[in-house]
Amino acid sequence: MFRFILHRLGMAVPTLLLISVIVFALIRLIPGDPALLMLGDMADPQSLADMRSSLGLDHSVLTQYLIWIKSVLSGDLGVSISSRQPVLELLVERFSVSATVVLVAVLLATLLAVPVGLLAAWKQNSAMDLGLVATATLLLSVPSFWLGLLLLYVFGIQLGWLPVIGYVGFASDPMKAVTYVVLPIITLTLVEFGAIARMARASTIEVLRLEYIAHARAKGLSEGAVLWNHALRNAFAPTWTLIGLILGNLLGGIAVLETVFTLPGIGRLMVDAIFSRDYPVLQGCLLLITCIYVLVNLLVDLVYPLFDPRVKL
Amino acid sequence: MNNYLKTALVVAMSTCTVSIAVAQDKIINVGLNGDIRSTDPGVNRDDNTDAVMMHIVEGLVAYREDTSIAPMLASAVDVSPDGLRYTFTLRDGVHFHNGQPLTAKDVQWTWQRYLNPKTQWRCLAEFDGRGAAKIVDVSTPDAKTVVFQLDQANGLFLAAMARPDCTGSGILHPDSLAADGSWRAPIGTGPFTLGKWQKGQYVELDRFKDYTPRAEAEADGYTGNKQAFVDKVRFEVIPDSASAKAALLSGGVDLLPDVTAMDAAELKQVKNLQIQVSPIMTISGLLFQTRDPLLKDVRIRRAVALSLDYAQMVAALSDGLSVVNNSVIPTASPYYDATAHQGYRYNLDEARRLLQEAGYGGEKIRMLVNKRYPQMFDMGLLSQAMTQAAGLNIEMETLEWGTQLERYQTGSYQMMSFSYSGRFDAAQSYESVIGDKAKEPRKVWDNPEALAILREVQREVDPVKRQPLFDRLHSLMLKDVPMVAIYNGTAIGAMGKRVEGYRSWPVAKPRLWGVKLADTSK
Repeated sequence: MFRFILHRLGMAVPTLLLISVIVFALIRLIPGDPALLMLGDMADPQSLADMRSSLGLDHSVLTQYLIWIKSVLSGDLGVSISSRQPVLELLVERFSVSATVVLVAVLLATLLAVPVGLLAAWKQNSAMDLGLVATATLLLSVPSFWLGLLLLYVFGIQLGWLPVIGYVGFASDPMKAVTYVVLPIITLTLVEFGAIARMARASTIEVLRLEYIAHARAKGLSEGAVLWNHALRNAFAPTWTLIGLILGNLLGGIAVLETVFTLPGIGRLMVDAIFSRDYPVLQGCLLLITCIYVLVNLLVDLVYPLFDPRVKL
Repeated sequence: MNNYLKTALVVAMSTCTVSIAVAQDKIINVGLNGDIRSTDPGVNRDDNTDAVMMHIVEGLVAYREDTSIAPMLASAVDVSPDGLRYTFTLRDGVHFHNGQPLTAKDVQWTWQRYLNPKTQWRCLAEFDGRGAAKIVDVSTPDAKTVVFQLDQANGLFLAAMARPDCTGSGILHPDSLAADGSWRAPIGTGPFTLGKWQKGQYVELDRFKDYTPRAEAEADGYTGNKQAFVDKVRFEVIPDSASAKAALLSGGVDLLPDVTAMDAAELKQVKNLQIQVSPIMTISGLLFQTRDPLLKDVRIRRAVALSLDYAQMVAALSDGLSVVNNSVIPTASPYYDATAHQGYRYNLDEARRLLQEAGYGGEKIRMLVNKRYPQMFDMGLLSQAMTQAAGLNIEMETLEWGTQLERYQTGSYQMMSFSYSGRFDAAQSYESVIGDKAKEPRKVWDNPEALAILREVQREVDPVKRQPLFDRLHSLMLKDVPMVAIYNGTAIGAMGKRVEGYRSWPVAKPRLWGVKLADTSK
């Protein structure tokens, strides 16, 4: 297994290098640069040239890339053009906010959606199945920003139970921090619930058709035992892959939700960096997202044999 | 005994309650649509940074409510007859946030820092000779007097000094820098000191308890009596407008300094909210590329200008809060007179006749718009629809704002729906549009006669002599049609009923001095 991990991590190195080149080039293909956006419509050519020079944008793209990659390899992701804060510090700070919301939401969604999927599959084509599938589809189709705003309106404005804006870190005041992340977590849980429940249902239906399930039933096992002891483990494997993909996707940023709930997360950082052409931050964000994908996929692969013994590493 | 104890307990509890109520800070929460970039005024900045920093630092002069210039840290400004020497006498009793008194040496130090290219001050170009004039010397004959010597007369010198995007050329104490010369924190003379900046979340300002206000009875723009009445101002970063609105409705914020006209109409109906409206200095309109093979023909440009129903358009764009203005001099400017009020008259027949005369055969004209600023998009959309009636074939191309800005800078467009940020002197408004396209492609009006008038008005200090020059420029612009100015924006502030004394104003930035919070707990 150790060799497998090393092999997978080794494979990630060229991926990351390739991504770094693509990211670096793509960002610079977008018209408009940070100097122009900082100076706005009042910028005269000399001020623009001075600003570009001070930001190191007067070098060729290749030179800029070499300078950047050299710093990255030495662990320095540079400094934000907008806030002049070290990019690494910014990424750690912002990622911790997004990760808290995403991990809790995905865990909750999984704990809720898998039993629901299992139940729907067990009662396939019944009224209960129809109801559960319809709910899951509805939640899957609702845009997260709309659901977020709806929850804000109900719990923040109408009932006044939870704060509408702001964020407090868990380190400074854990109880208060919870009140600020409750709504984003509920929103994300509901949105992801739909996808996971549908996948859990579909894979359970497949498994319930297999001979070993018929065999278990023929042995006289109760339906509960058949479902929990025999069907769930095999049915969960594909759902686990989906959860891995969802995690990778969401940890890369939940920009829309972060904007609606004014959470200072990695998604909002990235969107702001795109609008202000903050190259070092954007490059740092995209590298981090690539690393997350690699690591989450590795983790999914490592855990997979626990659910499906046919898979060997 | 028991009664004694009870009474003592009640007295103790009420004392506690009173002391808690008295000790509680008065905090006003203000929504900001983005974080500030830094605490270094006028250096690493944007609109939000300027808005916050203008509470911390003050310059020698500042904009009044009516956008004229008045002394701020200076008690008097004396201009020599040749316009080359500006002598500022400093006010008595002004202290920095660190308790040190303001002296002429501090002003000299601040300006030397601003004029050093290494500082990367945004407004350096206005004072190092690239703009109208160069500061050749800043001297301090005594502790209360500072003299600026220019290489040539410049009617815009004080106006440039007071510009909010230069953070009013705010005077700083040398301790704002660390020993190695790097930026530490702003130590200014403003009514608020910098409290806590939680990046991406909020900026907190504390009331400067030893602030010495000017003698005027009230605040006037960025000058006058700027006494603060709240203990803290907390600028909450809320990028999403729907969330900002929700925060206002729930009481999470007390004030949103900049809401859209559409939101204002909705918020006006809410019982516990109030709305403040003011015209601002932005200039919104359609820009033409006069070097374009098609649009170089003034008849086609004029046809566009005549095919727009301005009253209907501006009513729709501003929800009835703005008025039509075909001049680049904003309506809030003291130079906006009867001549500037003259504009294009909606005349479809004349537009059609001009197009026919120009031999226009329905060729496609591309107009750039963006969705970052909805009013630019809507203005483009309405223009496209209205010009169709005259037979014009305008096609909209929606770009990301940064991309559109780049096309504006390089002049790579046929037509563009655009808003200029606020210029507070009429000469600055004209300066942003007049120029040699070969040297500065962003300039829309390349006319040597207009450029000569502009240079003259830039040198002139006397407002009475400047007015006819502005009038000439406006008449010339209506004839040339290098762009069609349509209206100036509005600053609309929405706030809770407990906020007292807040006013929106043409500079469109929030001011939290002079603002009180009514006690609604009774």
